[in-house]
Order: sequence, then C-alpha cells, then structure tokens
Amino acid sequence: MNIYDLIFYLFAIITLVSAVFVVTSKNIVHSAFNLLFTFFGVAGIYALLGADFIAVVQLLVYVGGILILLLFGVMLTNKITNVDLRTGTIHIVPAAIGVGMLWGALSAIAYKTNWIKIDSPIPNSTAPFLGRMLITDYVLVFELLGILLLIALIGAASIARREKE
Amino acid sequence: MDFISLFASLKFIKPEITISITLLLVVIFDIIFNENKKIVWLITLFGVFIALIFTSLNLLVEGYAFSPVDGSHNFGLLTLDSFGSFFKVIVLVSTLLILYFSNNSNEIINTGKRQGEYYALMLGMLLGMLFMTSASDLIMVYLSMELLSLSSYVLAGFLKLRDRDSEASLKYLLYGAVSSAFMLFGISLIYGLTGTTNLYLINLYLQAPQINYIPFALASIMIFAGIGFKISSAPFHFWTPDVYEGAPVAITAFLSVASKAAGFALFIRLLKTGFVLRSNEQGMWILSDIFDWHSLLIFVSILTMTLGNFSALWQNNLKRMLAYSSIAHAGYMLLGVAVLSSQGVVAVLIYFFFYMLMNIGAFFVVSIIADKYNSEDIHGYDSLGYKNPWLAAAFSIFLISLTGLPPTAGFIGKLYIFIALVDSNMIAVAVIALLNTVVSLYYYIRVMKHMYLVKPAENTETFSTSPSNLVYLILLSASVLLLGIYFSPVVNLAKQCVGILGL
Amino acid sequence: MLQVGLTHFLIVSTALFSLGIYGVVTRKNAVMVLMGIELMLNSANINFIAFARYGNFGNGGQLVALFVIVLAAAEAAIALAIVLNIYKTFTNVNVDEIDNLKE
Repeated sequence: MNIYDLIFYLFAIITLVSAVFVVTSKNIVHSAFNLLFTFFGVAGIYALLGADFIAVVQLLVYVGGILILLLFGVMLTNKITNVDLRTGTIHIVPAAIGVGMLWGALSAIAYKTNWIKIDSPIPNSTAPFLGRMLITDYVLVFELLGILLLIALIGAASIARREKE
Repeated sequence: MDFISLFASLKFIKPEITISITLLLVVIFDIIFNENKKIVWLITLFGVFIALIFTSLNLLVEGYAFSPVDGSHNFGLLTLDSFGSFFKVIVLVSTLLILYFSNNSNEIINTGKRQGEYYALMLGMLLGMLFMTSASDLIMVYLSMELLSLSSYVLAGFLKLRDRDSEASLKYLLYGAVSSAFMLFGISLIYGLTGTTNLYLINLYLQAPQINYIPFALASIMIFAGIGFKISSAPFHFWTPDVYEGAPVAITAFLSVASKAAGFALFIRLLKTGFVLRSNEQGMWILSDIFDWHSLLIFVSILTMTLGNFSALWQNNLKRMLAYSSIAHAGYMLLGVAVLSSQGVVAVLIYFFFYMLMNIGAFFVVSIIADKYNSEDIHGYDSLGYKNPWLAAAFSIFLISLTGLPPTAGFIGKLYIFIALVDSNMIAVAVIALLNTVVSLYYYIRVMKHMYLVKPAENTETFSTSPSNLVYLILLSASVLLLGIYFSPVVNLAKQCVGILGL
Repeated sequence: MLQVGLTHFLIVSTALFSLGIYGVVTRKNAVMVLMGIELMLNSANINFIAFARYGNFGNGGQLVALFVIVLAAAEAAIALAIVLNIYKTFTNVNVDEIDNLKE
C-alpha cells in the first residue's frame, strides 16, 4: 500500500462520508456545508486521476459558484430568524433498501465488467491539450455552451426578477 | 494546425447559425425597443423563416460535420442527412405556427415587456432541437437536450404570477434534471465500455462480439430514461399532464409537437447509428445482441398508449386531456420505431407531419376558448356549435383527425403505422393499438358531444373569431382534411428522406 | 485488492450516484433535491475521468467532465430562480406540498 492508495482512501472517505451527511442531515444548512466537503473530495479524486485542470475547475465552479448559489437558495427560501431549518424526509426505509440494492448491483457491475484497461502513465499537465481540443474538435460544443449560458442568464433573470404588481 | 475541416463544417449548420444570430438580435432589440415588442416578434419570425429556407434548400445534403481535425476518423459531432432535415422542417414549421399562436394568445400578450425574453427563450429551445435532430455524438446529444430542457423549464413557468405555472416549472425541472442525470451516467458507462462517445465509432465497436451484456443493458436503459422523458413515454410520462396543464397554451403546444419531434429524431438516430449492425433484404434492422431494444420498445409503447388513453377518459380540463392524448400519440409513434425497419421510420415521419398540424390546431382552439372564458374546462365548450360554428367545425376536424378516422390526415398516419406493424408480423400489437384507438374515440367524441348536443341556453350570445385567427384555423383544418385525401406528397417526401439515408 | 485501480474509483462513483438518488427520493425540500442531483452529476464525472485515465482514451473524458460542470452551473442558476419563484408563490419549497395540479 503506497502513498497514492492512502490518499485515494482519504479522499474517498471524505467524499462518501460527507455525501451521506448531505442526504441524511435534518438541517439543510448542515447539508449544504457537507456538500462543500463532497465537492472537495471529488476534486481530490479528479487530481488523483491526473485531471489537474478539471480538479481546479471543480473547486472554482462547484465550491465557489454552485454551492454559494445553493446556500443562497437555502437562505432565501427559509425564514431563518424564526423558523427552524429542519426539513422533512419521506419514506426513508424503502428508499434506503432500494438504493442499497441499487448500489450493490452497480458496484457488482463495476467489479465484474471487463472495462478497457491500457496501462499508461499519469499525464503531466492536461490544460494545454484541453484548451486545444476546445477550439478544434469540440469548438461546436464550446459555442453551444456559450449560448446555453446566455439562455440560463436570460431565463434565471426572467423568472427570479420581482414584477411590479 | 489545420482548420479547413472546421470551416467546411460551417456550411452544414446554416440554420443553426441563423437561429443563433436571431437570438442575439432579439436580445439586443429587446433592450433598444423597450416598449414595442412587435419588432422582436417580427425578427424572430424572420429568423425562423430564413432558417426554414436554408433547411429546405439543403434537404438532401448529407455529410459529417465537425469531425476531429487530426483526421483520426471522419465521423463528427453532427451528421447531416435528409432524415434529420425532415425533422428540422417539422420543428421549424411548428415554430412558425407557434409564433403566430403566441402573438395571438392573451396569456403571452399580457406579459407585456417580458415578451422579449419569451422569444429569446423560444429561440434557445429551437436551437437545442435543431442540434438534437443531427447530433451523432453522445456529448452533443446530452448538451443539446439540456439546452432544450433549460429553456423549456423557464417557459413552462413563464407566467410566474400564476400558481400552476410555477408548479409546472418546478415539477418539470426536478423530473427533467433527474432523468438527464441518469442519462449522463448511462453515457459515462457507454464511454467506459467502448472508449468513445461517437455513435458511429460505438457501432464499429459493437460489430465485434461482446461479452459485457449487463452494463450495456444498464446503460441503454439509463439513456432511454433521458430520451423517454423528452418524448413522454411511460414510465417517464408522469410529468406531462401537470406541466402541460400548467404551462401557457402556446408552450404546451410547442412542447407536445416540436420537443417531441426532436426527441424522436434523436432516439431513432441513436438506435439506428449506434446499435443497428446491418439491414437485411427486407429492410429490417439487425441489432447488436447486447440489448433487446425490440421487446423494450413494444412493451413501453403499449404501456404508453394504454396509460395515455385510459387516463384521458376522465379529464374535464381540455389541456390535461390533450396532454394525455399526446402521451397516447407518443405510444403510437414508438410502435413505428419498435418495428425496427426503414418502413417503420417512414411511418413515424408521416405520422409526425400530420400530428403537428392537428395538435397545434387543437391547442389553438383551446387557447381561443381559454382567452374568452378564462378556463379550459369542458363546460366552456358547451353548445359551441351554436355560438361559433366555424370554431366548432375546425375543432371537430382536429379531434376526428386525432382519433384517426377517415377522411382526415390522422387516419393516414395511423394507417401507415399499422401497415408497418402488419408487414413485420406484429399482428397482436397492431390489434392492441387498434383497440386503443377505439378507447380514444370516447374522449374525443365527448368534447364534440358538448359542442353540438348541449342545447344552448335562451340568451346565449354568439361570438366571432378574429379574421386572422380564422384564416389560421381554416389553413390548418383544410390541410388536415386535404392531406387525408391527397397524402402522396408527404408520403413520397418521407420515403425519399429515409431512402437516401440508406436505412 | 488494496492496490487502487479503476474498480475502486467506480465503486466510489456508484456510491455517490446511489446517495444522490437517495437524496432525490427522500428529501422534500426542493433545494435538497437539487443537491442530490449535483451528487449524481459528480458521480458521472468521476466515471468519465476514471475511464479516460485507465482506458487511455485521451483527454475526451476530461473535456466531457468540464462540459458537465458548466452545464451543472447553468442548471443550478435556473433551478434556484424557479425555486425562489415557487417560494414567493407558495411560501414553502416542499415538493410534496406543491401539488395543486391534480384531478
């Protein structure tokens, strides 16, 4: 067991334990803060897989953007000062059994399947290659995502803006 | 670095480029002309029209666009062919019809200055649908579907001051996001199994014998969850009635026709390009044995049409009834796909062309009545035959056509589906579909009973429809009737479009 | 067994996916459901990157993950706007209580 494996187990445990807290915590603010550790752990896993650029983007966009957005959502949709932030759950037991079985099946599939495996060294920096692919092979997707963000901007502003009654 | 292949690809996406430019113009002109939204509407109409001209001119063009610049293979992110162009025509024509519709629906007009955003989001939806019809890479498939979804989540709840709109939009968002997350996980499994996201390369990979049956089946089901959600097939249909009832009528009509057409185009291309190994002499597809699409599709389509038809029986809200009826129609069309032959695909294309005309027409009548009485309840249609004979006549034609009775276009659409079923020895399935049609007769006729057999009260006022709306309705209902008798142009076009693909 | 390989990463991603589904089906609060969806998207991303790394598929997998992150941000923005609007209308965001559209 070398240092790489140890770091993997560390990040895997951070990710999964905090994810368990995210979905089970009664307090929605606790869930949101646990989500921070999940995203962080996932970023670590990306880094272990040699995806350095994606790991940084994960931290910037998920932790810096999406999580803040979700926290705003929590704050703006709960009366923090007088009502507690507990949120209800429904049919926990059947869901836990069903999801447990699903995980068992999925991980059995992951274990049994002959995935394509070709030995290759961990690449050094990937950012230049990703940048080049963004403006060549995947330039259409890049432009499409630009339009998608514009649409998201228009849509979100259109829905969330307060109307003069 | 060699960018020539990228520049060469640009000529394949002229309609998409046109729509993107129109979208930007709409955003700019929405700011400049803050008061008069007619200009924004005209720009949208013009842009969609230009895109339609580009598509019609390139109807028979085929090729791969945006293939890798290093030339490792020729297949690209997009595949242009007449099959996709046929669906593009359907999507663009229905957008034109919906644009007129929106401009004459009080729900949309009353949003006032927000109309600019409405048309911008509609163009976003349209762009997503255009890319869906030609996407041949799973990444492109996923992202174009998301572009369509994000815009339609907002549009479904566009009248945000009305409770049921907000509710529709929340439900659509949550169900849609979950189903697309499933789809993404399925795509990731396919990527792990084959090492690529390009449908043609996946097909090449599947030509060799496979041992990993279970992960392929799991991935196929997960991807079908995402697409099944878009075409509202059972068991992913449960959002449809709520969203269709809550959304503005124009958007309901748009979702039920255009977004479904794009979903079907995507699904057929995915199936044909990804999983079909070859065709035999009769034009039947031989699928890779990794997943039994045939049984799944037959099961799902029968379930879809039965659930749709039986739930429609008890609906008093016309919008909700038409929502269930559109689920049932998705079931009939899925049967056409389940035949798994080029004949079945031709039947789906024909069906869709007619379905577009009759469904938009029916929703337009619902919109006129909703504008007048502020409700979509079936009692709003009581004695409509006396109050406004033209409107009632047009609505009757659409309803008869939706049932699939001669001499309307709906009959021809169903006929081709049934012929395809019988030709591939699926007699039992055809009988079930036929029985379903009989069930559907009940709820369509029920509306006509309310229109003609409820005696008008003593002092019933008649009301008239504006001349332009009347022309629109006559145009749609006349084409439904005319295409029911003289249908060979559409049939020939569909056959030509599928034939060139070499399906 | 303890030597970390593709299977280990896949087991983490499938666990994350299952937890995401668990969050989606058990939580009533719409914001919580969105958090579950984010977990599901993250698990798919781990899959893409792990497959690309161990199968030596090139950088395509990482690029897909990048696209999905962008998309998740856009989706979160739209979703939060819709949830805020729901809150203004219904004064709560519990999915099971927002149920007027039924026969």
